[in-house]
Amino acid sequence: MNAISVNSLQKEYQVFNRKPGLWGSLGSVFWREWNNIKAVDSISFQIGEGELVGFLGANGAGKTTTLKILSGLLTPTSGSVEILGFKPWRREREFQKRISLVMGQRTQLWWEIPAQETFRLNQAVYGLSDKDYQESLGELVEMLELKDYLAVPVKKLSLGQRMRAELAAALLHRPKILLLDEPTLGLDVVMQKKVREFILDYNKRWKASILLTSHNMDDLTALCRRVLILEKGKLIYDGNLEGLVRRYAENKIIRIVFDGDVPASQIAAIGGTVDSQKTSMWVSVPRAEISKKAALLLSSFPVADLTIEEPSVDEIVRKIFSKS
Amino acid sequence: MKKYLRAYLISLQETLQRRSSFVMDRLGGIAVMLSLYYFWKTLLWGHPSFLGYSYSQMLTYVLGMNILRSFALTGRGWELVGEISSGKISSYLVRPMNYHGYALALDLSQKTVHLFAALLEIGALLIFFHPPFYWPKSITAFFLFVGALMMASLLFFFLEFLVSSLAFWTSESGGPLFFFEIFIQFAAGAFFPLNVLPRLIQKGLSFSPFPYLVFLPINIYLGRVSRGQALQDLFISGVWAVVFGAASVWVWRKGLSIYSAEGG
Ligand SMILES: Nc1ncnc2c1ncn2[C@@H]1O[C@H](COP(=O)(O)OP(=O)(O)OP(=O)(O)O)[C@@H](O)[C@H]1O
Ligand SMILES: [Mg+2]
Repeated sequence: MNAISVNSLQKEYQVFNRKPGLWGSLGSVFWREWNNIKAVDSISFQIGEGELVGFLGANGAGKTTTLKILSGLLTPTSGSVEILGFKPWRREREFQKRISLVMGQRTQLWWEIPAQETFRLNQAVYGLSDKDYQESLGELVEMLELKDYLAVPVKKLSLGQRMRAELAAALLHRPKILLLDEPTLGLDVVMQKKVREFILDYNKRWKASILLTSHNMDDLTALCRRVLILEKGKLIYDGNLEGLVRRYAENKIIRIVFDGDVPASQIAAIGGTVDSQKTSMWVSVPRAEISKKAALLLSSFPVADLTIEEPSVDEIVRKIFSKS
Repeated sequence: MKKYLRAYLISLQETLQRRSSFVMDRLGGIAVMLSLYYFWKTLLWGHPSFLGYSYSQMLTYVLGMNILRSFALTGRGWELVGEISSGKISSYLVRPMNYHGYALALDLSQKTVHLFAALLEIGALLIFFHPPFYWPKSITAFFLFVGALMMASLLFFFLEFLVSSLAFWTSESGGPLFFFEIFIQFAAGAFFPLNVLPRLIQKGLSFSPFPYLVFLPINIYLGRVSRGQALQDLFISGVWAVVFGAASVWVWRKGLSIYSAEGG
């Protein structure tokens, strides 16, 4: 059985033309004009029980929009979504008890007081018995190493500590479906790793279906075997991540800062130019030839700085798109 | 039920945590109370009564206003406007909870703290200034007052919720709420008894829900309303509460459907 099933899903944002001024905006309670912005363009996919799927795409591709629809925050313009047999936008209690949405840049924690108070509130909100609550909390506190931060006001936590508390608050009721929107946003490398390990552990332990967006390649390679790629609202890839990387990430990126202007055409002779901004340039070069090409660049041009980077997810996505 | 109790407690805790903004709130209220106190004291000096209020009744009206402002006219409208325009309400919409009930629980907890503060302030004023204080003539009058106070709180909650929900349409600006807050203090009698106003305006206001928020509850306390009339007032304010309760739910739903179409 599929945990999540999405068919020809489409979402157009209706952006109302707000009238200026108080009377204009009050008038718009009763009548209004709007524009449509197509954010998700007939996408279909299925996610099985216990599957951990990565969701990628460039900025504005429609990832967050899709997650909001799946969590029931947005009503689709057309198409169907079924999660564990529920239609999300009806926001039925039984549905809400089985899912969770975590957005890296939002918080559900009460800001001025310790996170444990929000946990207690969620215990009541989700109707957890004291026994279930203690058990679940104990487990999360241990896995997320939260013990020392439970009694600290949330506003005094670091971003990484807060993110872990955020995850705990979202998972107390052990949702079977977990939607994560950039859960590692802004975290340092160590913290990213911890959050990743936790997500994987939660997925294994409860056979939870997880859909996760990220611009961080490490997140995806560590967690997801399968990825969905969105481009301008359309689903352009649904499949194995490894194959994707093998096919498209055979290159590394050399980032060069020049002393003065160097025309991109001269660089193109050495490797594919990925991007250029004034005196900076990103050049894509096959892995095997990295040192040779770097040396060549250094000797032929007035280079102020040169670094070698892994291609970003967005880069890979862009490549796939340009080839398809 | 338990979730609303939790919400009540958590909000209580937060209010106590944010002591400085709470104290600023109270200081503002004390300043209003003291200036009105001295204003009426000076104005009524040597007059046995004014507009049918005895000297002690008028000064008690001023103290009573502090109670009503603190309990009935206190709410979290600005928080709601902020949560709507920042998208924070999304975090409630995905959880199995009723936002109206949740907001009411949070409101009640703020009201509790403010009520305690107001009682302390008035107690202090009674001790230090010995104003001629009007004590109710019967226990019934007192209970009718408590009933009117509860009704007024509920009515104000729905009114404020309704106006704050307009943030779904007005986006960033809390313009309607700002206007509402100022207007309601005049129309409810939270600056002066409504008897001060021209007859025609008084008449007009008597067909509106506003006098039930401050003016009528205090007049019930002051025994200026017969028992039968007080019961009738209680009933009418209950009807207003139902009307605005339904209206606020309707506007909230409509707002949510726009929220779901527009962004979230
Ligand atoms: N509330 C909204 N109203 C109107 N348009 C919106 C709204 N939210 C998003 N959009 C538009 O819909 C498109 C998809 O946005 P979405 O937030 O889903 O992208 P995303 O894939 O999550 O991007 P990012 O990686 O930057 O988070 C964008 O063009 C965006 O401008
Ligand atoms: Mg996004």
